[in-house]
Amino acid sequence: MTPRTCLIVDDSRIIRKVARRIVEGLGFEVDEAADGSEALAFCGGVIPEVILLDWSMPVMDGMTFLRRLRALPGGMAPKVLFCTIETRAERIAEALSAGADDYVMKPFDGEILTSKFAEVGAV
Amino acid sequence: MTPDDFDRLQTLMASRAGFRLTRDRMKLAEHRLGPVARREGFETVDAMLASLWAKPVASLGWAIIEALLNPETWFRRDRSSFDSLASELLPAIAKARGDQPVRIWSAGCSTGQEAWSLAIAARDAGVAVEIIATDLSQRALEKARSGAYTGFEIQRGLKAGTMLRWFDQAEDAWIAKAELRAVVHFARANLADAPTDDYRFDIIFCRHVLGDADPARRRDMFDNLERRLVDDGCLFLGADEQPDGDSIAFRAVAGRKGLFVKSAAALRRAA
Repeated sequence: MTPRTCLIVDDSRIIRKVARRIVEGLGFEVDEAADGSEALAFCGGVIPEVILLDWSMPVMDGMTFLRRLRALPGGMAPKVLFCTIETRAERIAEALSAGADDYVMKPFDGEILTSKFAEVGAV
Repeated sequence: MTPDDFDRLQTLMASRAGFRLTRDRMKLAEHRLGPVARREGFETVDAMLASLWAKPVASLGWAIIEALLNPETWFRRDRSSFDSLASELLPAIAKARGDQPVRIWSAGCSTGQEAWSLAIAARDAGVAVEIIATDLSQRALEKARSGAYTGFEIQRGLKAGTMLRWFDQAEDAWIAKAELRAVVHFARANLADAPTDDYRFDIIFCRHVLGDADPARRRDMFDNLERRLVDDGCLFLGADEQPDGDSIAFRAVAGRKGLFVKSAAALRRAA
């Protein structure tokens, strides 16, 4: 069986590293992108099953990436989980209505991320 | 903490709470009792325990017992139980009950996440419920009643959409909405005590609680749950928990992890 794939999009190398360890622990093969534009280029090739997405990033932010992703052929398929420091309810609602499947508020830990993956049906 | 202190704590936990304080929790116990000692005005944990052994004050005893219970819980823990509750059991039981709300007991609710998860499941299923949530720990109940959770706590088990639908944001906390509060009532109860009235529930959630029960008390605790459950009601334990040979009151429902109904023996006893 081919392993499931997850793209982690965050401009912080540390966050990517922490998230990678957790997501790999759930049995995913992980790729990384440092901003929305890198992530979009990646998704032009292969579309991952799950995308963990930061909001505020240089070059292209998470919201712009999400809207462009959803417009791509096959772009509705991946489960997209925002994963950001932004915790205001109205911003969370905005992300969900833009097509995010779920939303993780930083800080998070392995238990939170695991339960989020379970709730969106990714594991 | 001396080994003798720990032995006495084990006895205290077993006799008052029916709780098995295993020896591997000695370090944990010392760590948990530090804040209790400070709160109660003692220099050290040892001084607090010496005082308790010399002159057993009930309030101090309970403060110590509470701190040694296992408070671990999260929203929708063992998700499949909440899914089968909302999609199958609640609609079926509500139909059988007619106009009466379905009565649910969250037994050993700790800080309340299970009770709110039950209320959300019921609202999603469109079923009227009355939820009683009990715990031995007053401090856990205070938190449960507040219905307020940190960002860390609220997202452990809840999707963001569910969180926004059922909780209001207030500064750093997420607080259960009035619609949920209206159906959940919190009260203190000791699962080691036999029922003193004949109030009975349609559904009991008692998950990840009796796994820590003192083996000598476990069977009585299961019997107490059985007496609180209507004959056609159901009991949820943790997904990997079993009544084992301790109880002949319940039998497992095939294909539904953690779900139990009354055994033929329990039904005969009631008849």
